[in-house]
Amino acid sequence: MLILQVLINGILLGGLYGIMALGMSLIWGVMNIVNIAHGALIMLGAYITFWAFTLLGWDPFLSLPVTVLLLFLYGYLLQRVVLNLIVRAQLFITLLITFGIEVVMVNLARIFWTSDLRQVTPAYAGTNFSVGGLTIPYVRFWVFLTTVILSVLFLLLLERTRLGRAIRATTQELRAARLTGIPVAQIYAVTFGLGAALAGAAGALWGMLFPITPTMGGALTLKSFVVAVLGGLGTMMGAIVGGLVLGLAESFSSTYLGPTYPNAISFGLLVLLLIFRPTGVLGRREQG
Amino acid sequence: MSTKRWVPILVGLMVVLALGAAPGVVSPFILQFLINLFMLAVLAESWNIIGGFTGYASFGNVAFFGIGAYTTAVLLTRVGAPFALALPAGGVLAMLFAAIVGLPILRLKGHYFAIATLGVAETMREVVYNLEVAGAGTGLVMPILRSPMPFFYLMLAILAAVTSLNWWLSESRFGYGLIAIREDEDAAGVMGINTPLYKTIAFALSGVFAGLAGGVYAYWITFIDPEAVFKVIITIQMIIMAVFGGAGTILGPLLGALVLASVSEWLSTHLVTLAELFYGLIIILVVIFMPKGLSDLIRQRAFSLRYFLKNLREYRI
Repeated sequence: MLILQVLINGILLGGLYGIMALGMSLIWGVMNIVNIAHGALIMLGAYITFWAFTLLGWDPFLSLPVTVLLLFLYGYLLQRVVLNLIVRAQLFITLLITFGIEVVMVNLARIFWTSDLRQVTPAYAGTNFSVGGLTIPYVRFWVFLTTVILSVLFLLLLERTRLGRAIRATTQELRAARLTGIPVAQIYAVTFGLGAALAGAAGALWGMLFPITPTMGGALTLKSFVVAVLGGLGTMMGAIVGGLVLGLAESFSSTYLGPTYPNAISFGLLVLLLIFRPTGVLGRREQG
Repeated sequence: MSTKRWVPILVGLMVVLALGAAPGVVSPFILQFLINLFMLAVLAESWNIIGGFTGYASFGNVAFFGIGAYTTAVLLTRVGAPFALALPAGGVLAMLFAAIVGLPILRLKGHYFAIATLGVAETMREVVYNLEVAGAGTGLVMPILRSPMPFFYLMLAILAAVTSLNWWLSESRFGYGLIAIREDEDAAGVMGINTPLYKTIAFALSGVFAGLAGGVYAYWITFIDPEAVFKVIITIQMIIMAVFGGAGTILGPLLGALVLASVSEWLSTHLVTLAELFYGLIIILVVIFMPKGLSDLIRQRAFSLRYFLKNLREYRI
């Protein structure tokens, strides 16, 4: 029974990791930018939800669309105004600039929200329901369901719409995409906006389960990266599978090994994976 | 050795001697600032070995700094070892750690390497948090030394050593090997360079100096905890000082440390958060407007708007 419970916990958490990684994987795949500020975007989403909850009294699930929209706009502008200037530069430059953006965002958050631990606790926060002897917290269940809905919507957008086709075309061959009249700079900005929106959604949901701090993002950037690589770059399904793997790994390790090293687990997984299977679980061959 | 090679040695010696006389003339406040400045310059120069010369952008070199600091502190407080033994031990352990961790992760390239180093630093912080002997989350308190003089001269000596090492790299066969790896690793391998060995040595050299700086820092500040010596801002400072001055050059990191440490010192007298915010903004601006650093700007004597606009346009979509 314990094993089943641990399994359920892992899957519920894994959905959240899945959408974090989906955003990172999208930006990485399309623009070859590994966004070190991804965790900071998650943090921003969490704080927006926190403000909507404490200042306006909005339910965190209801404020989710607003958070997602705001983060989309923020990401869009960030790419349009700043990142498009260096998007063709070598790796180190793009890494460094997102690193700089992270530092700025974290320190602005320190000024706006201080370093105190914040929490979003709606009235139903502590309640559970049980199915066949397994305890499932309501919030975790709804969070998981939301991540599933968001993932499906996102995949549909990418696979079935004109915009999604333009994004995929830009990924495959920049010059050819340009020749067919795709406004590449615009597509890049929309892509970053979508990635940021997913991060924001993840942050909004994360804030209901865990405390919010300005520096919460660092470890989450690392996890998003691990999950994106775990599933295999370039496959969006890979991010979701990777998220479940990490969620399960953490759930099992914290039950059976103790909760002292949460980040060491994900990092250990990463190093092992990179050494033994550098293309990920579902991945295709890709240059480093 | 040609006469041309003697010039930098002589100039370097004169600068070190001039700095060595500084404690006699400056105020205690300036002295503390200088120790801090030397430390940051050591870190920037040590990052330069792996990030600048070898082209492996490490985002986790703070791990070496922290290991050096903790080794020294543990030996001083728990074992009762003299500082003269504890400090080198910190450097050696940081070097061994760099070599051992370097073996697997230096096989990774680009993004993968960058994130792996970020992970190493994060993991080390977590490990120290759980180490009883290292005071876990509460930290370690060291005996207080009344005079700041030993720290001043130690930091200066380490800085002189790491700068000399960078100079040697720019002149030697080994250094050329590292530059070849940066420019094209496969080609370097074909030319007969043992790339894994070269990279690991570069990483270990980077580690030993960051470790020594950490060891001196620990005894100088007299109190360390995991948050203080494994914090991300230390990595940020090393990278941005090296890049702002000019990564892969000898004097660039020194110049970057001097300029940025001075400005951030001035800012942090107003508000500590401002200093970190400043580093973040500088990173963004430098990357966009002068990715080759101050030393390139000076070498080309390009003190005009056109230089910045050219950089701005270069990688735009």
